[in-house]
Amino acid sequence: MNGFNVLLVDDELEFLDTLIKRMKKRGLQVAGVNRGEDALAWLDREPVDVVVLDVKMPGLDGIETLREIKNRRPLVEVIMLTGHANMEVAVQGMELGAFDYLMKPMDIDELIYKLQDANRKKSLQEQRIKRKQEELGTRR
Amino acid sequence: MIALPATVRAWLRRIGGNSREAEMDPKEVEELRTDFQFRYHHFKLLLNANNKALEEMAEIEEALRGTRPFGMTFVRSRCTEVSTSVFQMIKHLNQLAPDRYAGLGERFKAIQRDLWAQVNPLSPRSDAPLVLALDRITADDLPLVGSKTAQIGEIRNRIGLPTPDGFAVTVAGHERFLAHRELRTEIHRRIQATDTTSIDRLHSLSADLQQLVIRAPVPADLEAAIVDQYHRLEARRGSGVRVALRSSALGEDQADTSFAGLFRSELNVSAEHLLTAYKEVVASQYGLQAVSYRLSRGIREEDAAMSVGVMTMVDAVAGGVVYSMDPVQGDRNTLEIHSVWGLPKPVVDGNAACDRFVISRTQPLRIVERTVAVKTQKYLCYPEEGVCRLDTVGAEAEQPSLTDEQALRLAEIAMGLEVHYRKPVDIEWGITTDGSVIVLQCRPLQQAVSPGQDQDPDRAAPILGAILMAGGITVSPGAAAGPVYLARKDADALAFPEGAVLVVSQPAPRWATLVPRAAAIVAEQGSTAGHLASVAREFRIPALFALPQALEGLPAGAMVTVHADARRIYQGRLGELVKEQANPLTMPTASPVYRTLQEAGRLITPLNLLDPDAPEFRPDHCRTLHDITRFCHEQAVHEMFQFGNRHRFPQRASKQLVCQVPMQFWVINLDDGFHEEVNEAKVHLKNIASIPMLALWQGMIAVPWAGPPPVDTRGFMSVLMEATVNPGLDPASGSPYTVRNYFLVSRHFCSLQSRFGFHFCSVEALVSERTPENYVSFQFKGGAADAMRRRLRARLVAELLEEVDFRTEVKEDATFARIEGQPQAVMESRLRTLGYLIIHTRQLDMVMANGASTARYRNKIRQDLQQLEH
Repeated sequence: MNGFNVLLVDDELEFLDTLIKRMKKRGLQVAGVNRGEDALAWLDREPVDVVVLDVKMPGLDGIETLREIKNRRPLVEVIMLTGHANMEVAVQGMELGAFDYLMKPMDIDELIYKLQDANRKKSLQEQRIKRKQEELGTRR
Repeated sequence: MIALPATVRAWLRRIGGNSREAEMDPKEVEELRTDFQFRYHHFKLLLNANNKALEEMAEIEEALRGTRPFGMTFVRSRCTEVSTSVFQMIKHLNQLAPDRYAGLGERFKAIQRDLWAQVNPLSPRSDAPLVLALDRITADDLPLVGSKTAQIGEIRNRIGLPTPDGFAVTVAGHERFLAHRELRTEIHRRIQATDTTSIDRLHSLSADLQQLVIRAPVPADLEAAIVDQYHRLEARRGSGVRVALRSSALGEDQADTSFAGLFRSELNVSAEHLLTAYKEVVASQYGLQAVSYRLSRGIREEDAAMSVGVMTMVDAVAGGVVYSMDPVQGDRNTLEIHSVWGLPKPVVDGNAACDRFVISRTQPLRIVERTVAVKTQKYLCYPEEGVCRLDTVGAEAEQPSLTDEQALRLAEIAMGLEVHYRKPVDIEWGITTDGSVIVLQCRPLQQAVSPGQDQDPDRAAPILGAILMAGGITVSPGAAAGPVYLARKDADALAFPEGAVLVVSQPAPRWATLVPRAAAIVAEQGSTAGHLASVAREFRIPALFALPQALEGLPAGAMVTVHADARRIYQGRLGELVKEQANPLTMPTASPVYRTLQEAGRLITPLNLLDPDAPEFRPDHCRTLHDITRFCHEQAVHEMFQFGNRHRFPQRASKQLVCQVPMQFWVINLDDGFHEEVNEAKVHLKNIASIPMLALWQGMIAVPWAGPPPVDTRGFMSVLMEATVNPGLDPASGSPYTVRNYFLVSRHFCSLQSRFGFHFCSVEALVSERTPENYVSFQFKGGAADAMRRRLRARLVAELLEEVDFRTEVKEDATFARIEGQPQAVMESRLRTLGYLIIHTRQLDMVMANGASTARYRNKIRQDLQQLEH
């Protein structure tokens, strides 16, 4: 159930390290980067199913990074994470296609459920697309 | 508050018994199956979001009951969470039925805009000056320089009494400081990350925030402005003039929120340390007392703007406070002066013996009481910087620190200021080396709320029990009971249990943070002056000070009743006395934080869309987030029912359940609710894989139904009467009551819509190993008997469910119940209980008006339910 790839993006190094450790303990395949720019570069190189994205980062911030991820890899699911509850940013993120908007500190179990749900959404979507493509292929 | 899967109406009938055996292309079947999985996943995510939204709304409603303090972080977090959940529901519904509910997004946006306007922090004033000279300040500048500095300016410039010279670093200056390098954002982030109900977490949060502020750099423009003002002050008052820095927060010193002594003052500061001292005063805003004070009084963090007054240091020969009225007994005929040698600091802190003058306010003023204390120590300014505590020498200790003339002069000043402000005042003052009075601070007097006792209460009040201790000074009236908690050192504050009687040696301001949680306060020293006394009065906590040996005389942990008015501490809890005085502390409902949540709550929690069959059940009628939640949930269930039928997919059409009960049930598999796919028109129980459905079913069949209860004649008449007036009871009329019984299932989900006789019921449950997502919701309605009997039955069902931790609500003859967040095993047990109740309480309405038989059935039901779990 946890056989998918997660990328954590957060400029708070301590938080990132702790989260990676805890998630690895639960058998998740997880990597972490500190900046939005690095996240985009990582996505170009490595397979990623779900991204957990801090909203507030220096450089490319969470919303801009989300926009760019959805632009380049529309099927990748993104969960926004924030230490600063902001309704407008939450709704903006969801409109841009974020799967959810979670507030720190969050329960690790809850985060893992969200990750599983996000990944399932992605794989169901992929199956449907694959089928549509097959359909088009057989018709041709 | 409880949204439930609604009645399955006419559309249910259309899909009933759809069992066509169509030959389908395996590829097509596979495609449909993926579609179903995709749709079910969105449905499930919608249910999760629905569950979360309802929980968040319940939290908001709970907070609005005002029994627990909360801050703006709570308000903003809840509003953001609930918005996120509701927005997710709209998104998932759009996946289930693209474009069908287009109006929802619009409504959401509109509500969102209003909500944002409620909780969005005001944008900071931009053009206000960062600093302002005291000579230009009057009471009109309160919004810019805070109450304390504004009053000193008023007294200096409008009334013309002597005060120190100086300037203010305004709230705009404070704003500038907090905006620099996003200090404020970081502060909010840390507050959000903390569980503020835990006192030790709050403790470390407070320490962190203070460190953060002290280490933060002062922006260059603010620094330049402060230094410039200081140079001007030097030009007027001499090179190197020492200053005192005092907090002057907005909202501080107002009649209902005193902030008494919660912020720091820095005394006798040199030019070199001016900026550090400024930051220390600002940092004290995050002191433990201040943070918990704002929390308990409902003051928004962003409204706690802090101006700092920078005033020339007065090296007082003597100092103290004057109350223009008796602060405890509210005696309007006398005023009180508390005085010590040196700086007034020990009087303000409430931790030293001081001289007390009571002065009659009728002209000509005269001293009616003079108590001269032995003042062994005093505070003085060091020549370089800071203040020190010195032992008094020789006869000084026992001499009055004020001459009668000075005392009368102070009385005149106090009465003059009272006239100017039109209310009783509390003045901090000093006597300069030339013997004249200088006003250091002035604020409205915090008075005890219900004086009402005669002047010598201890003689008047009857003795009500065994007295442990008696005497002392009533600093805040009232009576309260609680276990004794002896607090000797700072760390003891961390373990202070809610509702205990706090017993301390000195009533120092550091205990103020415990006041809102204390039943009563007892101190060995102190007087009606001092911050702790003010805070106790403000929170209406009974307090008895100056009771020697209290720490020895009161056994830790023992239950006592403190009767502050009578100056007695009784053994045990004197129920009558305490009840009479009961004054539960609640979140002040007029506080800014409370009002913000209340306004936001109006856009969130009320439910207007009640009836899914009503023409108003439409997106454009959604007025609150709860309406949208309700609408999305209803339509999602509707879409799930319809889908199998619309797509002529036999595996997903409804199947009749093969079972050994005299009722018929149909089952619709949403995803993985069956062990094996079923193409036929019937499904066997052993093929059901749905965990919640199986639990519910176990309860339904556990005890064979005993048949209708014997009805007394009146009950039977009531059924007949009702049948003639309620067309819904005629099975042929096609009303909601005539639909079939449907289970909508997946492995972890079950929705039952059914009618049993004249009763309509629905159950919806999500049960898996994901504990936080689990919920069971239930609605039970209707009946054949008259409204009164049906209502009684609804209440009986609610009572029985409350015994197993459901939250319930009874409206007319309908019972709503909900439970969430319990582990799978608990949820299964609750479903068995529900299953049992659905079957065995039907038709109980007929016997409900008969008290004896109600009790008998209630007992029988309780017994059965117990057996069910063994």
